[in-house]
Amino acid sequence: MSLLAIFEQALNGMIVSSFYALAALGLAIIFGVLRVVNFAHGEFYMLGGYAYFMALSALGLPPVLGLVVAAAALAIFGALVEWLLIRPVYDGRADRPEEYSIMITFALSILLLNLANSLFGPWPRRPEPLFRGRIEIGELIVSGDRLAAAGVAVILITALLLGLRYTWTGRAVRAVSQNREAAEIFGISVTRVGMLAFAVGAALAGLAGALMGPVFNVVPPMGVIPVIKAYVIVVLGGLGSIPGAIIGAIILGQVESFATILIPDPSRALAYKDAYGLVLLIAILLLRPQGLFGTQDRRA
Amino acid sequence: MTPQRARTLALGVLLAGFAVLPLLLGDYWIYTLTIGFYYAILAASWALLVGYVGRISFAQAAMAGLGGYASALGVQHLGLPPVLGLGLAVLVSGALGLAIGWLTLRLHGAYLGLTTIAFAEILRITATAEYGLTEGSRGLQVAPLLTGGSRTEYYYLLLGVTAGCLVLMGLLLRSRLGLFFQSIREDEDGAASLGVNVTLWKMVAFAISSAFAGLAGGLYGHFVQLITPSMMSLQEMGIVLAMAVIGGFHNVLFAALGGVALQVLLEALRELGEWRLVAFGLVTLLVLRLMPNGIFGAAVATIAARMRRNGGDE
Amino acid sequence: MTTPQLEISGLIKRFGGLTALNSVDLSIGQGELVGLIGPNGSGKTTLLNIVSGYYPADGGTIRHSGTSVLGKAPHQLARQGIGRSFQITKLFKRLTVLENMLVAGLSDGTTSRAAATERAMGLLADLRLERLAHERAASLSGGQGKLLEFARVMMLEPEIILLDEPFGGVHPELKRFMHERIAAWNAAGVTIILISHDMGSIFELCARVVTLSYGDIICDGTPDETRNDPAVLDAYLGEQHG
Repeated sequence: MSLLAIFEQALNGMIVSSFYALAALGLAIIFGVLRVVNFAHGEFYMLGGYAYFMALSALGLPPVLGLVVAAAALAIFGALVEWLLIRPVYDGRADRPEEYSIMITFALSILLLNLANSLFGPWPRRPEPLFRGRIEIGELIVSGDRLAAAGVAVILITALLLGLRYTWTGRAVRAVSQNREAAEIFGISVTRVGMLAFAVGAALAGLAGALMGPVFNVVPPMGVIPVIKAYVIVVLGGLGSIPGAIIGAIILGQVESFATILIPDPSRALAYKDAYGLVLLIAILLLRPQGLFGTQDRRA
Repeated sequence: MTPQRARTLALGVLLAGFAVLPLLLGDYWIYTLTIGFYYAILAASWALLVGYVGRISFAQAAMAGLGGYASALGVQHLGLPPVLGLGLAVLVSGALGLAIGWLTLRLHGAYLGLTTIAFAEILRITATAEYGLTEGSRGLQVAPLLTGGSRTEYYYLLLGVTAGCLVLMGLLLRSRLGLFFQSIREDEDGAASLGVNVTLWKMVAFAISSAFAGLAGGLYGHFVQLITPSMMSLQEMGIVLAMAVIGGFHNVLFAALGGVALQVLLEALRELGEWRLVAFGLVTLLVLRLMPNGIFGAAVATIAARMRRNGGDE
Repeated sequence: MTTPQLEISGLIKRFGGLTALNSVDLSIGQGELVGLIGPNGSGKTTLLNIVSGYYPADGGTIRHSGTSVLGKAPHQLARQGIGRSFQITKLFKRLTVLENMLVAGLSDGTTSRAAATERAMGLLADLRLERLAHERAASLSGGQGKLLEFARVMMLEPEIILLDEPFGGVHPELKRFMHERIAAWNAAGVTIILISHDMGSIFELCARVVTLSYGDIICDGTPDETRNDPAVLDAYLGEQHG
């Protein structure tokens, strides 16, 4: 394999990683604060894609505002879902909260998938990307839409990390993630932070969907594969760990990018592409359930 | 009437009802109900694992698919008669279930859910990718179970197998094993402190549940005569989950009835197109939120309460 | 000299850098009722968790009637005659009280359901729970839950029972009743190790009291000896500031 090919794969890996990271961060924040794995995260991602598509095609907004619409729509939707369906998990109304949270989010994912099928039809849509054209770095050629989307993803991730670190709200989110009871004693409303976390998590998934929509088409089942990657990433990094999610995304992007070119038969290699992450997921859960960077947790 | 007798009577009426239905219905509905029996076994097998042992799995549909492929390929390549193909389906799915059960012993809740999703997707991806063996997403032709069998014959065959599976599950759950399973669901450490071999029974439960799913998938393949990797998808798993939840996943019979009832409703509401699946999803959310024991569970509880109030013997 | 019922020697347990048990030696004879006390974090529950198979040890040996305990799973030890209760009760809430008992009664795989039910009803009657036999365990009060946990352990027909804080949150009248039952079982030949912060109960029930502090046994004697031991006083004062 030539050096150029290696660079190309590595760069592809990095671009893909940035989208994965965006979706995975939402999952990590929701899990960190609420201890809920959102099995409907992929459908939040898909809805983000459609929100972006509608903003551009029905409202005629420019792509940048389309992103804002997608984020806002998903934040509101996420808050509603938290209020209507997730709250029983921690206010004592659900008999077996963990089982309930798994089933309710899984059922929600199936509902949203079918809803999108009914509302938008099964046809793929291709909204306008943020940026067209190609960028040449020496001999490397990268399509502009991907690079622009990756750039926006990196900016968003950075903004999120800074927000978590330096704003009062961000600190409240981290406090609840680390110790629910203590946060409550210090006057942080766990309910409000829970709703906020779910809204932010949904908005991040929506943004990832909106950024990826123009690259890979907007279609109802578009979230199924990326969400599985997001699971792989958060498990890799340790569920609920935010830096873990970012590092997990980078690892997965590279593993997929390089593993694909290792199988000689190209059509088979493509078919198995999505399986590598799953094997990684199983291996991590079995060997190191707390993730590569998570803290020890006796009961996985 | 004692609750015991009421229950026996209800079960008798139910079975008799299913036995006479083909006399009243056309081929189309007989076919629909037969598919419903496939879902009944599948939903019940999932309820056995999730409702009784408290181990979540999203690999049930994949296990059915595995059984379907195992039986079809066994018949095609090993020259097995379809009945032995079904035996192979039970063995293969049961063995993989045992292996997954063993690998995931330390995992709980969402972690277990994620791991089973990973196993399910790997199975589906493999079935799609190994097109030399499985014909990939085009689907694999499967030999019929009954040569020249009529719709009605298949109906009674699947009805019989479903009833047999449910009786078997019922006996199992009423034995001491059922008690061990439930004690594990309630508190693993507590169960171990009372001498229950938690490790063993968790694995056995996974194996049994998968074996039933494999049998269901094998039957489905030999009945429909075409299987595709999509029967292993997470969407299909979502349908099975919805059936069990709506019927009531803390009772294998209720889950099975949920499977038949929803399959029939899905066909009956065909003119609604995709919207019926939306309604289906909404009902699942509402039942999970408001009726944790499912529609049949809630109905039976109401009837039992009324019987007690009207001067029953309790 | 006969083999002791339970013989612990050189038992070591570490959690990361923290030494929870620092080469503990303890020998308990058949039919003893031993109180195990010590400040929070002294290693009492850790010791119990190792003896009942929930934690592995980092060194040392434990023998039950001469055979080694270490490396066996909790359920094996339960069937071998080492029963235990938990500080926070671990009831099967959605099962009935009787079913809770039957789990223990049937776990050996051979006892018939009829025999186990009869034995369970007898034990429930002993503990004044027979009226509740067909109620779900979730509907029991905290004190009744503690009694059910006692009854479940006794279903195992144990040789030794390890009781972890059985009196926590129990009102005085019920506590009196529990004292009575513990003494009666002990009188019937069951060896009992009782962990409690309730000194009154310990000193009243146990002829022998073992005090742990920071993973070491600092005192092993009669209630009077324990009460007057300056090391015990230090251990408690150091923690509780009087």
